[in-house]
Amino acid sequence: MMQQAEIHEFLVNYFTASGCQLLPVSEKDQIKVKLTKEMDKLLMNRPFYWHYIENTGGIPETATLLLRTDSQTEEGELIHFGSPRLHQILDSTKKLAPFIRLYQNLPPHSAPALEPWLGINYKISYQCDLKKDRICSTGLQLINGTIIDGFQEMLERLDLIPKLPDYCYTLSPLIKIKSGMARIEHFIESVLKKEETDWAENAGKRWSRDRELLDSFYEQQNPKPDTYFKEIEALRDQYEPRILVQFINAGLFYLQSSTFIPGLIKDR
Amino acid sequence: MEPFIHFDHSWQDQFLKRISEDGPWAKEGMFQLAYQAEKERLVPSFHGLIAPGRLPQLSLHPHQIETARAVIEDMHGKAILADEVGLGKTIEAGLIMKEYMIRGLAKKILVLVPASLVLQWVGELNRKFSIPAVPQRKTYVWSQCDIVISSIDTAKREPHRSLVLQQDYDLVVIDEAHKLKNHKTKNYQFVQSLKKKFCLLLTATPIQNRLSEIFYLVSLLKPGYLGDAETFARLYKSGQAQVKNEEKLKALVNQVMVRNRREDTGLNWPKRIIRSIDIPFSEEEQAFYDSLSDLKDAGILQGFSLLTLQREACSSREAAFLTLNKLHRTAAHPHLEGLWQSIFNKLNTIKQNAKAEKALELIQQINDKVIIFTEYRATQLYLQWFLKKHGITSVPYSGGFKRGKKDWMRSLFQNHVQVLIATEAGGEGINLQFASHLINYDLPWNPMRIEQRIGRIHRLGQESDIHIFNFAIQGTVESHILNLLYNKIHLFEQVIGELDEILARIDLRDIDKQVELIFEESDSEGELQIKLDNLSSVINSEKRSG
Repeated sequence: MMQQAEIHEFLVNYFTASGCQLLPVSEKDQIKVKLTKEMDKLLMNRPFYWHYIENTGGIPETATLLLRTDSQTEEGELIHFGSPRLHQILDSTKKLAPFIRLYQNLPPHSAPALEPWLGINYKISYQCDLKKDRICSTGLQLINGTIIDGFQEMLERLDLIPKLPDYCYTLSPLIKIKSGMARIEHFIESVLKKEETDWAENAGKRWSRDRELLDSFYEQQNPKPDTYFKEIEALRDQYEPRILVQFINAGLFYLQSSTFIPGLIKDR
Repeated sequence: MEPFIHFDHSWQDQFLKRISEDGPWAKEGMFQLAYQAEKERLVPSFHGLIAPGRLPQLSLHPHQIETARAVIEDMHGKAILADEVGLGKTIEAGLIMKEYMIRGLAKKILVLVPASLVLQWVGELNRKFSIPAVPQRKTYVWSQCDIVISSIDTAKREPHRSLVLQQDYDLVVIDEAHKLKNHKTKNYQFVQSLKKKFCLLLTATPIQNRLSEIFYLVSLLKPGYLGDAETFARLYKSGQAQVKNEEKLKALVNQVMVRNRREDTGLNWPKRIIRSIDIPFSEEEQAFYDSLSDLKDAGILQGFSLLTLQREACSSREAAFLTLNKLHRTAAHPHLEGLWQSIFNKLNTIKQNAKAEKALELIQQINDKVIIFTEYRATQLYLQWFLKKHGITSVPYSGGFKRGKKDWMRSLFQNHVQVLIATEAGGEGINLQFASHLINYDLPWNPMRIEQRIGRIHRLGQESDIHIFNFAIQGTVESHILNLLYNKIHLFEQVIGELDEILARIDLRDIDKQVELIFEESDSEGELQIKLDNLSSVINSEKRSG
C-alpha cells in the first residue's frame, strides 16, 4: 500500500507524464494542476460539456484540480489510498499507456547495434471464493529467444528514449511478434503449472461438498426446477479455481546486447 | 483439482496494429506508472482484509473486522449476520462488500432493504465506504449499474422482476432477512431464484429458537446444508416446536451465522440511567381529566375508548381537544349540550401543562441536547410553541417526513438546536447517538416501541451514559402502566435487543392490545393490578428462561 508521500510523488509524476501543467501551491503537500483537454475528458466526467464545446466550436476551459495528501492541510481534495479519485487516476494509466516502443540511449562510441525485445506486463490472479494476485513482467529477446522475468524492473534502470539514437541501428527480429507473444504465454503457463495447487484443491473440495448438499436438497424434485440449475452455476462462479492472466501493457524495446546482468537471465 | 488458466488476448490485435502503423505509442513515464499502479494494488494473500487500510476515516471495531474476515474466509461468503441491535451489521456488510470489490471478487451487487431504508443505505455505502451504490429508480438501473439498492417489494414486481432475475449477481445482501421466514411467500421465492455467488442475510432477530425459520433461512443461503425439509424435521423436530439434537443443530448453524453479543464485544457500553417522574396535575387539569368519565357515564363513548381520551389528556389538552371536538360533532345532542359545555369549559380553564413545565425545568438543567418523544402530533406542536416561548429552540421529527426533511431536521438538531421533538412514527431508523438525554413525554403501551426509542441513542458511537426520563401523571392510567408494568419487567434496564427476543418468543407483539384489554375489562383497581401482574410475570419468566 502506498504511503502518503509515495502517493504525492506518484501524482506529480502522473500529471507531468500526461503533459498537464503543475501550478504553484501554498502548502507543500498540495498539488494544483491545470488539466489538458485529453486529461479533462478522462478524469472530469463531463461528456455533455465536451459535446457542447465541440459542436458549437466554443473555446474550452479545462478544469484545474487542487489535491492534497496531508489531512491537516485545509484546502484541496484529500487523496489517500482509499479515495475514489486516486483509483480513478490509477485506472486511467492503463488506458493512457497500453503500448510503447523505446530505444536504449547509449553514450557515444558504444556498440551501435540494438537488439529487439518484446516485453509484456501481466497481472496474474489466483481465484476461487478467495483471491490473490501477483505481477509478472516478461521480456523475450526476438533474435535468440532468451526470456527474462522481472523485465520491467530492469528497464527502469536504463535510459530509454522514444527515438532511435542517431548513431545506432536496430537488428531485425527473427521471431515474429505473434509467435513471440505465444512464446511468452507458453513460458508463463509452464511456470504456473509447476506452482503449488493446494489452494485449488481445497476450493475444489468446498465446491463438491456444496454441490452434494445441493443435489440432496433437490433429490426429490424431478424434473429439477430452474433454481437448481441457477445454484449449480452460482457454485461454479463461487468456487471453481482459475488463474487469470490479465494484460497490463506491452512494448517493443531495442536494447544493447550487454544490458542484462547474468543470473537474472533464464535460459530456455 | 487443477486450476484452469485463462490468458487475456483482447489486446493483441491492437498491439500488432500499432506496430504496423508505427504508433501511437505511450509516453515512457506513463507506461511505467501504469505498471506501478497495478503493482501497488496487488492483493498479496488469500487471507486477511485489505479494506480497513483503505478506509482511514472509518473507525471499525474489532468484532466488525473479525466478522468480515470470518464471513469471507470461514464461511466462503455466504452467511447470516445476526448481531444484536446496535453493533453495526450495516458496517459489517459494507466492509465485506468493500473487501470483495477490492479483491475483484464482486462487481455486480444487489442490496435489498425495507423501502424506508433505501436512501440511508445508499448514503452509508457512499459516505463511509466510497462504494458507488445507487438507489433503484428507473428500470435501466438494473442492468446498467453495478451496485443497486432497492426494496424487495419493488424488485419482485414486474417489470423489474424479470430484469432482476436476468442479472448475474456476485453478491446479494438482504437486510431484515427474518421477514423471509416463510418459504411460501413471493418474497422468499423471489430471493431464492436470484442468481447469487455470495450472499449476506442480515437479521436482528436471532433465529435459534424457531426451527422452521432456521431451516428456511439457511436453505436460502446454502440449500441442502440442513438437509431437505423432510430430513430436517426428522432429525431436529420433536413434537410441536420442540427441538431435539439441539447442540448439533446449533453447531451447524453457527458455521453459517455470526452473532455478536454486546457483552462479548469488549466494548464499553454506556449505562442507562432511568428516572421515572410522577407528575401531579394542576387543579384545572385534574378537573378536566376527571370530567372525561362523565362522557362514559352519559353513554357518549359508544365503541370508543375512554382510555384513549384519558391518555390524550395526560399528554396535553391540545391532544384531547382534537378527539373531543370530533366526538362532539358526531355525538352532539341537545340534551347533552350542558355536559359538553362543562367539559369544554374545564378544558379552557387549563392555563398550564404540568408535564411541559417539568420538561422545561429538566431541559434547562440538562443544558445539553434532549430528545422528547410524544405519541401525539398536537402535543408535538404545543411543545414546540411552549419551548420557543421560553427561549429554547427545537425541531419536530415525524415518521411521515420525506427522507430529505428527516436528514435536514437531524442535522439541525445535531448542529443548531437543543431539542428534537419526535412523534412515535419517527422512532425507527434514525440515529441520534450524539444526544444522550431522552424524555418519554408519554408512554406507549407496547414496550417494543420504548425499546426502539431508546435504541436511537443507545447504540454504537454513544460515548456518554444515557439518561432516560419517564413522565407519568399521578393517579392516572399512565402511572399504572409505568408502575405496574414497565417497572416490574425492568424494561428500561434491559439491554437493547433482549426484549425483542423475549417478545418474539412469547408472541406478545401486540402487547399494547393486551394492555388495553386489561384496562377496559377490569372493573376494579384490584382486578387491574392482578391482570397486569400476570402479564409482567409471563414476560419475566420468559426472560429467565431465555
